[in-house]
Amino acid sequence: MIIARSFSHTPPWGALVHNLVWVALHVPIVTFLGLIIAYLLKYHVRGSTIIKAILFLGIVIPPAVGGLIIRFMFEADIGIVPILFSYVGVESLSKTWTLYPQTALLALILGSVWLWLGFSVTVFAAAMETIPRSHIEAAKVFGASTWQTFYRIVAPQLKPAITVVVVMTLLWDLKIFDIVYASTGGGPGGSTTVLALVMYNYFARALDYYRSAAVAVILTLVVIPFIVLIIRRERG
Amino acid sequence: MKKSFISRRAFKTLALNLVVWIFALAWMLPFIGLVAVSIQPYREVVVKGWVRVPDLSSLTLNNYIEALRNPLYDLATGYRNSVIVAFLSSLILVVAAALTAYAFANLDFRLKALLFATILFIMMVPQQLTVVPLFLLYRNLGLYNTFQGVILLHSAWGIAWVTFFLRNYLRFIPRSLVEAARVDGASEITIFYKIILPLSIPALIASFIMQFTWVWNDLFYALVFLASRDKQVITQKVVMLKGEFHIDWGLLTAGSIISMSTPLILYVVFNRYFMRGVAAWGVKR
Amino acid sequence: MTSAFLKLDRVTRRFRNVIAVDKVSLDVGKGELLVLLGPSGCGKTTTLRIIAGLETPDEGRVYIDGVDVTDMEPGDRDVSMVFQDYALYPHMSVFDNIAFPLTVRRGKLRLSRRDIEERVLKVAKMLRIEELLDRKPPQLSGGQQQRVALARALVREPKVWLMDEPLSNLDALVRMQVRAELKRLQKDLGITTVYVTHDQIEALTLADRIAVMNKGRVLQVGSPKDVYENPEHVFVATFIGAPPMNILECKATKEILECPGFSKPLPPSTRGLQGKLYVGIRPEHIEIVSISKVTKEDVVEARVYVVEPLGSEYIVNAVSGGEIVKVRTSRELLLSPGDTVYLKIDWSRASVFDFESGRSLGKLLKALVS
Repeated sequence: MIIARSFSHTPPWGALVHNLVWVALHVPIVTFLGLIIAYLLKYHVRGSTIIKAILFLGIVIPPAVGGLIIRFMFEADIGIVPILFSYVGVESLSKTWTLYPQTALLALILGSVWLWLGFSVTVFAAAMETIPRSHIEAAKVFGASTWQTFYRIVAPQLKPAITVVVVMTLLWDLKIFDIVYASTGGGPGGSTTVLALVMYNYFARALDYYRSAAVAVILTLVVIPFIVLIIRRERG
Repeated sequence: MKKSFISRRAFKTLALNLVVWIFALAWMLPFIGLVAVSIQPYREVVVKGWVRVPDLSSLTLNNYIEALRNPLYDLATGYRNSVIVAFLSSLILVVAAALTAYAFANLDFRLKALLFATILFIMMVPQQLTVVPLFLLYRNLGLYNTFQGVILLHSAWGIAWVTFFLRNYLRFIPRSLVEAARVDGASEITIFYKIILPLSIPALIASFIMQFTWVWNDLFYALVFLASRDKQVITQKVVMLKGEFHIDWGLLTAGSIISMSTPLILYVVFNRYFMRGVAAWGVKR
Repeated sequence: MTSAFLKLDRVTRRFRNVIAVDKVSLDVGKGELLVLLGPSGCGKTTTLRIIAGLETPDEGRVYIDGVDVTDMEPGDRDVSMVFQDYALYPHMSVFDNIAFPLTVRRGKLRLSRRDIEERVLKVAKMLRIEELLDRKPPQLSGGQQQRVALARALVREPKVWLMDEPLSNLDALVRMQVRAELKRLQKDLGITTVYVTHDQIEALTLADRIAVMNKGRVLQVGSPKDVYENPEHVFVATFIGAPPMNILECKATKEILECPGFSKPLPPSTRGLQGKLYVGIRPEHIEIVSISKVTKEDVVEARVYVVEPLGSEYIVNAVSGGEIVKVRTSRELLLSPGDTVYLKIDWSRASVFDFESGRSLGKLLKALVS
């Protein structure tokens, strides 16, 4: 992982890279997983309302608490991920992920997948409601397998919803602050620092209002193209 | 006669159900762990872990009490402050929302589309952008480190998104209802109270709840604009429970649960409103 | 009857406390077109879905071509279905829609792309939609969409062809055209077909046999002629035929049959039925006569309620003893509401039904004598 020194006077490109890595991992996983789960919930599984309501919890709680829970999840001996790996015998991953530069960012990103999944599932589930049941039944009668029905019939009709999820998640990942602040504060060694955090540190720690504002502007510039995209979609 | 064997398709359905349900339960594990650790003394958890049936005699609420009462952590004050800030921000917002509903029902101005685009834009821009100049401004106005300052900020932010939010909800109130009332001779105030307001109530409730949750969950604005201990909100305080070198997880988990209790309760009671808001993103007009 | 190609054996399906399909047994011969006819909620669509495999019955078995398919997935049964809303995939071209049943099973059926293309073209030609192959469903008219749905259902040459009210979304004119073509198509191809509808005219024109259903039960299965002329249940009698058969509540005693507004003397030697009965007479078996022609005894006096002109004929609604009796006539009589008319009933065509169960007791005159 790239280490960015948060008090250096170079532009915050290291942090930006972290944001981009976040996007590169978070968006695809949340989108695919969300699609598949929403599909299974709609057509094959009982009690989908409860499951959707449970997953949605991730968005209801304060993101700061989300960050703390993520920290909890990856903590040695009491976090479920290290515990899992210790059962399986992978020693190196049974430590506290957030204390090591190699695994810290990954921990946060995976944690954010856990947190954000409810969003994509809810949006996709709603979009799937608009596909008439007869489409699925026809596919069944004509011999399509579950996967074929998903891949050829349902997913292509969800393109607009997929766009929404991708862009919203992307925006969220670029602006992310609370989770990082609460769990790692940007460490260890700057391996999890992100743009918004850099901005905040300039503001609150270095009391350097100029640089803080500058980073804020950079952050905004990065985000603007995607905002325009969403606006276009909402108007069109 | 019931079949005595499980057919292939029943098996497939069963398998899929199992997979998804196990996934859902696995997803919940962090929360379960959270609760488990919060009700036991941490020194026990360190030794024995929490992935076991807890020893009932050692269950305790000490972590909660500690988090709330201990002046170092002082979550009680944080809770109170969050309630004040969130509630007032939401109240102001609902009033503004009601008036916006009136505007929607009556006006049809050319720039509506442009207005929406602008609002949408404002909604999406990072919070970080406006914070520095605002901070300096607040300092000069004496609004820094005050509840009023933060409430004002949240309300302004909220008015932007609620306008957008209401548009979806209120699209279905036909203008003809208002016009019919006018023809019948009702005054504007009556129209507002008797027609527009009642029809907008679900939208207003939803707005209140969403705003309340949003403000409660906020950390960034609080960090920037609320500095003193007696003014800090619960999100700030709970984050401070995490020590630099050593973490008392019993304390932290209890604190987490306390701080998410309010949005959680709102969510359980008003579940529909939450999910409908997000689901709307998935459906084309 | 030919041996059954499609067989339902005492199929039952319940939803919560409602019995949607109640011990339904059906035999459909190879190449036969069976229509499931009945009002909404009678269980016909559920029965169809059970044949398709979209629902599993709680009791009973389904056999196709000798094989017990009750527990098989829809895709394995070699059936095809046309849905009421056509279920065409809007994001795929017409060609891809039609090819779908083949492409999803390409491996299993060992088809090359060329094979698929051939079959699609063949079926498209049959339904005269070759020029539409590149378009997408939202661009097509209702009638065209329907043909695409039909084509898709035929491309695999299934064992059984299932149709769920396929014509109900079409305009009346288009519907009649398609109806005739559909019948021809089915005969040419010889595919065993089950067709669901609530429209009795559709049933009468299309079916080789009709199964009339109500409340989950099959009340009668027979050729259109059979079902029309010899209804086995009062429900069937009133459901089939437009305007419906007149059903009169009558009472039979030793000497006299008392009906609303009139009575008919019975031959003294009859033993026959006693008590309350339903007597059924079709509107075309009643004649309007002028009083001078026949003696008063053979004729029923009634008051005109309203006359419905239908172009080539008239439906006269007349009131006798408080009940409305419909009469079909092609004569142009200048009648107004309130006029008195004289009705001559062709008693040889009248049916009688049991008052309690509604079951048919046969033709009136025969029943009274037996």
